[in-house]
Amino acid sequence: MEFDKKNLLKLGKLARISIKDDKLDSLGEDLNSILKFVDQLQEIKTDQVDPTSNSLEQKLLSREDIVEKINEAEDVLENAPEQEMNFYVVPKVIE
Amino acid sequence: MINDWNLVIGIEIHAQVKSNSKLFSSSPTDFGSSPNSQVSLIDAAMPGMLPVINSYCVEQAVRSGIGINAKINEKSIFDRKNYFYQDLPQGYQISQYKDPIVGEGYIDIETENNQKRIGIERLHLEQDAGKSLHDQDPKYTFVDLNRSGIALMEIVSKPDMNSPKEAVNYVRKVRSILRYLDTCDGNMEQGSLRADVNVSVNKDGEALGTRCEIKNLNSFKHISSAIVYESKRQIKLIDSGKRVDQETRLYDINSGETRSMRSKEDAHDYRYFPDPDLLPLVLEKEWIENIKKNIPELPDEKKARFVKEYSLSNYDAEVVVSDKATSEYYEAVVKGRAPKLVTTWVTGELFSVLNKKNISIQDSPVSADMMGELLDNIESGKISNRLAKDIFEDMCETGKNPNLIIEEKGLSQISDEGEIEKLVDEVLNSNPENIEKYKNGKTKLLGFFVGEVMKLSKGKANPGTLNKLLKKKLDN
Amino acid sequence: MTENLTIKQASDLLKNKELSSKELTELYLKNITEGKELNCYNYVLEESSLSEAVKSDERRASNSLKSDFDGVPIGIKDLFCTKGTLTTASSKILSDFIPTYESTVTQKCKDSGLISLGKLNCDEFAMGSTNKTSYFGPVKNPWKLKDSKADLVPGGSSGGSAAAVAGDLCIASLGTDTGGSIRQPASFTGTVGLKPSYGRVSRWGIVAFASSLDQAGPITKTVDDAAILLDIISGHDNKDSTSSIKEKENYSQNMNSNVKGMKVGVPKEFMSDDLPKSTLKAWDACKDLLKSNGAEIINISLPHTMSALPTYYIIAPAEASSNLARYDGVRYGLREQGENLIDMYEKTRSEGFGDEVKRRILIGTYVLSSGYYDAYYLKAQKVRSLIKDDFNKAFNDVDAILTPSTPSTAFEIANEPNDPVQNYFNDIFTVPVNLAGIPGISIPFSNDEKNLPIGLQLITNSFEEQKLLNIAKNIEETVQYKATPEKWWIT
Repeated sequence: MEFDKKNLLKLGKLARISIKDDKLDSLGEDLNSILKFVDQLQEIKTDQVDPTSNSLEQKLLSREDIVEKINEAEDVLENAPEQEMNFYVVPKVIE
Repeated sequence: MINDWNLVIGIEIHAQVKSNSKLFSSSPTDFGSSPNSQVSLIDAAMPGMLPVINSYCVEQAVRSGIGINAKINEKSIFDRKNYFYQDLPQGYQISQYKDPIVGEGYIDIETENNQKRIGIERLHLEQDAGKSLHDQDPKYTFVDLNRSGIALMEIVSKPDMNSPKEAVNYVRKVRSILRYLDTCDGNMEQGSLRADVNVSVNKDGEALGTRCEIKNLNSFKHISSAIVYESKRQIKLIDSGKRVDQETRLYDINSGETRSMRSKEDAHDYRYFPDPDLLPLVLEKEWIENIKKNIPELPDEKKARFVKEYSLSNYDAEVVVSDKATSEYYEAVVKGRAPKLVTTWVTGELFSVLNKKNISIQDSPVSADMMGELLDNIESGKISNRLAKDIFEDMCETGKNPNLIIEEKGLSQISDEGEIEKLVDEVLNSNPENIEKYKNGKTKLLGFFVGEVMKLSKGKANPGTLNKLLKKKLDN
Repeated sequence: MTENLTIKQASDLLKNKELSSKELTELYLKNITEGKELNCYNYVLEESSLSEAVKSDERRASNSLKSDFDGVPIGIKDLFCTKGTLTTASSKILSDFIPTYESTVTQKCKDSGLISLGKLNCDEFAMGSTNKTSYFGPVKNPWKLKDSKADLVPGGSSGGSAAAVAGDLCIASLGTDTGGSIRQPASFTGTVGLKPSYGRVSRWGIVAFASSLDQAGPITKTVDDAAILLDIISGHDNKDSTSSIKEKENYSQNMNSNVKGMKVGVPKEFMSDDLPKSTLKAWDACKDLLKSNGAEIINISLPHTMSALPTYYIIAPAEASSNLARYDGVRYGLREQGENLIDMYEKTRSEGFGDEVKRRILIGTYVLSSGYYDAYYLKAQKVRSLIKDDFNKAFNDVDAILTPSTPSTAFEIANEPNDPVQNYFNDIFTVPVNLAGIPGISIPFSNDEKNLPIGLQLITNSFEEQKLLNIAKNIEETVQYKATPEKWWIT
């Protein structure tokens, strides 16, 4: 089993998703089933193949170094669950 | 080297690109704006927002790459570096991993008695993160995204440095090059340029030690003392039979110590992968060549030229060129004047005033033109060097033009022999007994006569002429 | 006269003053109210749609129409960010999110005078093929099995978009397609669903699922309507770095349904004994139809397409795991209280995301993590190249490719398999198209023995949408598929 309890919890930590104890088994089963399914790719020979990360054949377009909107503070804070003095507020972080 | 321990130091410099707008958004990059006032929807990672690259930032990275003698890669890839942090809105940083825009390069730094070449691994473009304020509230952290998305160049050195001094000189040199290129303002206090320093210790013939990374050092002083502290800490650990853990540490500027970062709850796994929102960045050969052609004279070249053209010593030249504005100031003053005099005045008098006032040469109260005028008065003999210092002080205070000060205070030197002779005669006439003593062998009294004449002339008598006349009269 | 209107018909009615935009909009708002049970809409814009309709009528009166289709009401998948209007991606984590900006696609619709009736239900973050992963509950397919009252899935993820068109709760709709999310529900509901070439339509302002695969497109009642909407929404957008700079064509004006001399490929890998007989029959009938209309049918091979599904289920979750990292409770969306920052993150994301989304985030995180990247993610990217290559080669010989859209017709909501992988097979014929970045369209061809629509898929090379629409139009003209579901939801 690739996705045993320990691996699942570690993966959950990495993805910042807490996984409840009673979900571990069924989730592990699902993920194992998916992993088994995608594992069939291992049979395909790809030694000489370049990877494709985007199918669009075009060079990267760029913009000029021009400032457009100066103040979107209201816009970007509009949906904030918690804010104070135009700061986003989160539970205390210790470095 | 401490006892028989070697120090091995590698440095990652994060240099903010000097640009109007951010790397992937059109928000401004000004420092010190009110919280979240220069944050676009893209910087705040609102749903559905997409990055569009700033072509000027790309150009700045290429210019910087050329400045550090590095290979410019015609094709580079933007990757996502995935991790969660409150000041990283996307949940990933757009950076470059396997295919950076700039490859291997090097710079030369000065060491005690010669030069040393420090290898550079790469330079890549990435987004800066926002800022967190931890001290506003006991229970909460405040987040400001103004800095989020500003273009950063990460310059990674090889572990080629072996002392705090070398490390500092390396950062100084990189900073100087970037400032010459105008690709980064190099303002360390504001965090436009910061360094992560990797330190390890080992003994001759032994394998490299385990390294620790000290994050976010933003002054030369901190770089130096953090390395000193960290290397001692590691040596002490090993000497007492313990081992050094590879970890990220913070430098506490108050205690001067480094400490382990507590937030490293789980080992990072950044899951880098090519950003599917951005296609590969492809640079045309011709475009790169064109940029190369327009690279300004850099510190090393300028130094060589100053040594050659102005016969500066290696040391003086290094001092003068290390800062672009200083070198420009120097060159403006030295044109048509005696280099020795200019060097003494710029690196001596001017520097000491700037240091005292803690200001940069751009803010110097004495412009290059005014400095030139002052030195012209010395060279022409109109004023003495000593008087010039007084005038310079006055210039610094009032910002007045030296000629004006000389005129206003009637300070111009008396070089007319007839006029000086009158003063000499006056002094001699009122001191017959001292003349007697002098003639009887107490020649030290010459100084007394000089002083008296100077007093009478309010310090303006040309000392050469005065000496010559006095001697002539006394020795006859 | 006013049932199952197409964009073309509706705009003619408006033009001939037989109906005002306000009346038309009221009619559809009534249909929406009557069709509440279908659960197509997450949010209905009752007021703003009417006020927009009134404005459109005023424009008509003053001869200042924005386009020929000014005043036509459509529905919008709840994945497009709409300024001042709830945009949820059918997820709890965004259930109260009101954007302060408008997606490029919906802005273009506004600029053409189209009226938004509301936001259409879909699978959570467009992840699913049955519309059952929506936080707001499943959408019901307007179609029913012969002699059965069981509710059927409309397909997904654009289930609401497809069901609303099929049930006439809007004239046409916008969907998005990452692995088949337009074509598969179109096939399940007897509607036309077009996924344009990657880069043809801007992704700016669309909640991202898998950035290298996502593409917006129309779900409509006819091929003509698909062309009309594509005309409106396509084109370069300098806010999207992956938007193509290729000039777009005038698809509706240039529509030409003549297929004489066209070569249409039929990939042998798509033929399987597992396919329902009725689907095979429809496919064969379509080949005959095209042949008799002057096209040549050519057997082709796309050797790697059968690896497309596992490839997709590595690439899409990998990109999604990163794209969905921004939902962290800091700047918008749901926040659950936590003892510290990490605790807040974990609780928010655990509470805010549904099971399928979590599965995909976790798998995506896994295939990118150190030690597995090469074996999974890089491998999938390489197979993606092979798949793209297969299509490139095929298009040296043929103008278009004809396949079934889905391996089955719609099934009962209650019968959805428990194993997530079984569900993934719904997309087996559509996924290769997304990986290759080429356009595909699903058009209804006939109904099966259970009276459920069967969709067929046409595929052309990148940016050959015109050719795609032309051939689709030819089939549509010939088969004259007119079936509509019985409106059982009106009591």
